[in-house]
Amino acid sequence: MNTSTPLLLLLILFFACEGPPRQNMAGNRIMLNDSSFAITEVDPNEEYVMVTTATSLPLYASRDQVAFRAWGKYRGVRVSVVGPSDWNIPAQIKAIEEVIASRPAGMLINGTDPGIAAAINKAVEAGIPTIVYDSEVESKRHCFLGSDWYQMGYKQGEAVGTLAKGKKGKVAAVGILNLSNQQAGFTGLEDALKKFSNLEYIGEFETHNTIEETARITTDLINTYRDLVAVCGFTSETGPGIGLGLKEMDVAGKVYGTNVDASPVLMNLMKEGVLQYLVDQKRETFVWYGAEFVFDMAHNISAFQPKYLSTGVHALPHSVNTGLIEITPETVNEYVR
Amino acid sequence: MQFIKSLFRERTYTLTLFIVITFIIASIIFPGQFPTFQNIQQILLNSSVETIVAVGMMVLLISGAFDLSVGSVAAMAGALTAWLMMIAETNSIVAIAGGLSAALLVGLFNGYFISYIGINPLIQTLATMGMVRGIALMIAGAGIQNLPYEFIYIGQSKMLGIQSPVWWMLIIVILFHYLTTYTVFFRRYYYIGGNEIAAELSGIHVKKVKMFGFILSAFLAGLAGILLTSRLGAAISSIGNGMELRVITAVILGGASLKGGQGKIFGALLGTILIGVISNIMVLSRVSGYWQEIIIGIILIGAIWLDLAVQRKTE
Repeated sequence: MNTSTPLLLLLILFFACEGPPRQNMAGNRIMLNDSSFAITEVDPNEEYVMVTTATSLPLYASRDQVAFRAWGKYRGVRVSVVGPSDWNIPAQIKAIEEVIASRPAGMLINGTDPGIAAAINKAVEAGIPTIVYDSEVESKRHCFLGSDWYQMGYKQGEAVGTLAKGKKGKVAAVGILNLSNQQAGFTGLEDALKKFSNLEYIGEFETHNTIEETARITTDLINTYRDLVAVCGFTSETGPGIGLGLKEMDVAGKVYGTNVDASPVLMNLMKEGVLQYLVDQKRETFVWYGAEFVFDMAHNISAFQPKYLSTGVHALPHSVNTGLIEITPETVNEYVR
Repeated sequence: MQFIKSLFRERTYTLTLFIVITFIIASIIFPGQFPTFQNIQQILLNSSVETIVAVGMMVLLISGAFDLSVGSVAAMAGALTAWLMMIAETNSIVAIAGGLSAALLVGLFNGYFISYIGINPLIQTLATMGMVRGIALMIAGAGIQNLPYEFIYIGQSKMLGIQSPVWWMLIIVILFHYLTTYTVFFRRYYYIGGNEIAAELSGIHVKKVKMFGFILSAFLAGLAGILLTSRLGAAISSIGNGMELRVITAVILGGASLKGGQGKIFGALLGTILIGVISNIMVLSRVSGYWQEIIIGIILIGAIWLDLAVQRKTE
């Protein structure tokens, strides 16, 4: 027996072995061989609904809704985006309640305001798999996916502290004052600024989520505080408003501008030298996995879902921090889509 | 005494007085910050776009109607103008004409359904508000940037140190003050607002005049949107969000009545400036953002109450 014979035998033995059962994806149908998985088949008519306020907000329309529709195509299910076109919380609550009545397969609710908690609870009590995304709302939701808003503020504070290089002065925040996520962001910003003895936090200012109001406040702040070091924004609309205010007061680059999110407009302002720091959420990530989670619940994909459900518990994680992306003038070109 | 009484009978005069008193007090308290050229210029600049919209709204409110779609029309006109320049590669003048034409069409649509079909202005313009905002979003997407210099120039250039939207605002206010004070056509809005049936019986083509009011309102909203887009240097579909309520508040503050038949174009200007001045003082006073909303609301109610009280006394 020459040396190649055992090698040949081993090779035959290897190919004769049966591999582990694989998950087969035939079109959109998910078929698992293992009987312990009680997966239900996908009905192309089953509907998943995203409920938000300000459906026409560019940030939501160009990112959240695009990701959600792409996910619907991927899964072969119907997806709908429901809610008022403007920032209107009562109208969002009404929309949630109307969607519950239509019994969708799953709901993704934008956590815009603590006031929507009761409506979220109704969805859960109606047996609809429900996740809250973007901002946490204390409720019975099955899972929350989004960023840590405290960190969104903290990172901005650290960035301003670094940019100031010891220069003495004041820092202001602009955003929507009555939102819990913004409050967490303001607290994060204030905490980070405490590390820099040269910087004083003067508080937060209401913008009503409009560019025009943010620009007005920014110019008023520049007129009031001659030692203003930075204005930090906490909504997608504050960035262009801060930019407009800084440019029109001719202090771009002298007073720093930082903001959450990273729309093309914001990144352009950064390239112009008007904004110095952006901290972006992974919006597509929390929408995509949020949709996957409710789909999972609706179809019992998690192996232990049925076991959990029998005890009144579901298999989804309690919450998922999708992290954040820091964008600076040095890295902005990498993010321009 | 009679002269003083006649002065106080007009909201524009009491508003002017209120603004002057506020100005003097603010100048005494914040001598280094409030009465500066830069601060005053900025208050006017920040009020300019909404004042232009407020002029159209004032004409409508004089006739007893209002338009909730102005903010959306502003966004749509700005977005379409930018799209025509950057995507369709037309020159700036053609693009602006396109944006304004689209605004005119929305006004015609609103005006026709309200005047000729009889749909309530609240319902009609509320529906249009959503539709037009959607169109703006479709056109602008996540934003259109790098707009050409000649377009940016319209909203960012300066004359005598004052940025162009302020000049646009002044020209429009003076023009429409003249039109509503001295021309027969625009005087008809007062008759219609005072008594629509009597206006019809006196031979005024009420439907046509009212429809023109909506076209005018949309046109000015479109112009305001284009100016704001030029100021920003980018088309963003969310501009003008909530503008309709801010403008209606300013116009009512400026002397218009929801019942119609009252109001002056200068009142629209004074209303937006008063709101701008109060907001500015709030920041200068370092009032916490949480208190600002409450205080501004109280001051606005106070201004109206004072005006009504003075008017009653003089009568």
